[in-house]
Amino acid sequence: MRGARREGTGTMNVLRSRTAATAVLAAVALTAAACSSSASSGSAKSSTGTGAILIGVPVPLSGEYASAGTDILHGAQLAATKINAAGGVLGRKIQIVSQDDACLASTGSQAAQKLISQGVAAAAGGYCSTAALPELEAFHRAGIPYVMDASTNPQLTEQGFTQAFRTIGRDDEQGPIAASFITGFLHATRVAVGNDNSTYAKGLADATVSALQKDGAQVVFNNALTPGQSDYTSFLTKIGQSKPQVFYYTGYYPEFGLLLKEAKQLGLKFTMMGGDANNDPTLLKTAAAAANGALMTTAPLAQFLSSAKGYVSAYQAAYGTGPGPYSSYEYDAVGVVAQAIRDAGSTTPSKITAALKSISYSGITGNFHFDSVGDRQPVNYIVITVQNDQFVAYKKYDDSTKQWVNVNS
Amino acid sequence: MSAFLQYVVNGLTSGAFLALVALGYTMIYGVIRLINFAHGDVLMVGSFIGYEIVVTLVAQHWPIAVIVLVALLGGMAFTGVLGAVIERVAYQPLLNSSRLAILISALGVSLALEQAAQLIFGAGFSAYPSVLSNAGFSFAGAHASYVQAGMIGVSLLLMLGLYLFVHKTMAGTAMRALAMDKDAATLMGINVPRTIILTFVLGSALAGASGVMQGLYYTEINFFMGFLIGLRAFTAAVLGGIGNIPGAMVAGFVIGLIGSFSDGYISSEWSDAIIFAVLIAVLVFKPTGLFGERVAERV
Repeated sequence: MRGARREGTGTMNVLRSRTAATAVLAAVALTAAACSSSASSGSAKSSTGTGAILIGVPVPLSGEYASAGTDILHGAQLAATKINAAGGVLGRKIQIVSQDDACLASTGSQAAQKLISQGVAAAAGGYCSTAALPELEAFHRAGIPYVMDASTNPQLTEQGFTQAFRTIGRDDEQGPIAASFITGFLHATRVAVGNDNSTYAKGLADATVSALQKDGAQVVFNNALTPGQSDYTSFLTKIGQSKPQVFYYTGYYPEFGLLLKEAKQLGLKFTMMGGDANNDPTLLKTAAAAANGALMTTAPLAQFLSSAKGYVSAYQAAYGTGPGPYSSYEYDAVGVVAQAIRDAGSTTPSKITAALKSISYSGITGNFHFDSVGDRQPVNYIVITVQNDQFVAYKKYDDSTKQWVNVNS
Repeated sequence: MSAFLQYVVNGLTSGAFLALVALGYTMIYGVIRLINFAHGDVLMVGSFIGYEIVVTLVAQHWPIAVIVLVALLGGMAFTGVLGAVIERVAYQPLLNSSRLAILISALGVSLALEQAAQLIFGAGFSAYPSVLSNAGFSFAGAHASYVQAGMIGVSLLLMLGLYLFVHKTMAGTAMRALAMDKDAATLMGINVPRTIILTFVLGSALAGASGVMQGLYYTEINFFMGFLIGLRAFTAAVLGGIGNIPGAMVAGFVIGLIGSFSDGYISSEWSDAIIFAVLIAVLVFKPTGLFGERVAERV
């Protein structure tokens, strides 16, 4: 017995040490492989070589917001085509590489990793802030600049990542503008605010609520719905119970379309207003006649920018439909990256980042530069409305007269 | 008071849609003891078929009433056949295997339907053309549209039809017998495979009807819509007593009302949590559901 036990433990010891050895070897092998692969992908990066310069575009290409993501990708592709037709950058062509982030944090993180391993010199894209946050973290760790065209959550530039830039404004700028319009132009004193619990919507709702309270209005309702459902009638009935004059919804267009339609069905009379994720043309398909009269705060759509006329017709010619709300900001995002590469004279990501910090760019969305944290300056938010089943520019804030005036004045 | 009535109206509308789907779950469980996870996706398919029909016929300027009828019948016919095909392909070969195998098969069918719909119709949402009017009537401060009343009416008619079929016809009685005891049913000369297929056809047709009506009413459809609706309908089926047809009808409305009151009096953020808490509570405290399973225990 004693002998067997000793044998047993002896065998066990041998087995354990053999297993341990295998484990250590495996770990060493994996680490070596990882190190070597990152080194080899480093050499395959756009920073060296004479092939195309890769620009990564992580956007939602599946799921509820696929139409917005596809629109942004089209903007990037148009920019690349234009730049390449004019001779490219540093004698090399720009190539757009897209990855689907599905507007989810987990998928976004993976999408960014894939783009990094494909050797992008910079990234320009993003739609949902939920996905943009982990994407930005991944790009930051890899030292790759990320110019965001549609993600408006303030956190993105407040984390101190030098690689964060955006061509779009921030929710803590949009919120006060919405509040100013609601109290200053619509003269509402009872306001309801709704969101869908996403990073972006919650951020914009919070910014708007604090701005409304500062402006002296009463926020009679501040709650979230669950996105992805069809029936929001009870949610709307509850809002109606609090008797607001205006309802500001900070979520996305699939739900806003349903809210517009169902509010009309219920005979609710308050003004419906949305944040800038509701400016998608597909909203008009869902809500149809119920959309007329709805208001939205947004960065100017391409069709309202005099500098973007050529872009609108080029988009129409290439894709058979008008551009969506963010593709023009993506067009400028790719353009400013290309310009930064030219200024830096190199495709090394750190040099591109440095060039972006001090760049001054004239794009189809206007002239802008990036401030110390990477936000676009100046920012331009206007209020649009829906008339005859179309988006129409409505009012903008005139700083000199402190009044809300027509956009085209 | 008017808010309460409005919540009741809203809850009855969504409840009617849920009840139709819950019936399918309960019937299929009754005959083959399978929780058909693909059922919500059958509703989604019905929605898209209805969408294609409505879009085509609207372009050809058919009268609206005819379009609605054709969409409804067309959707039901397609999903009925789809249900039979699914049963034949994915479930029938596994009827004598372990319960786990057929459950996994159901999950696989669910995923397959969702991905197929995504490939065919795209990842974004599609919108039914607005063919139904918003005209309605008010009573005691609550607002209801004629369409809403019509939808609830059609749902009730379909449920009544199913109830009469199950209780008054030979085929329906065969289904009930099969649900009670499969071996005894075979001994009584009931054609079991055919009865199972009939159950699937009926259940899926009802889900298809619900899908088309939801498409006409809410107009926004998406390849993923079946998932959440399926979960809520499944909760309703369990609440009513899985295998119990009248139970599923009532419980569908109950869940619709619970959701509506939760949205109204608590918060929309909590509605799903509350409904699924109901599911858990039922399973823990009264697994046979509110109305009890009508199925005899096998000895």
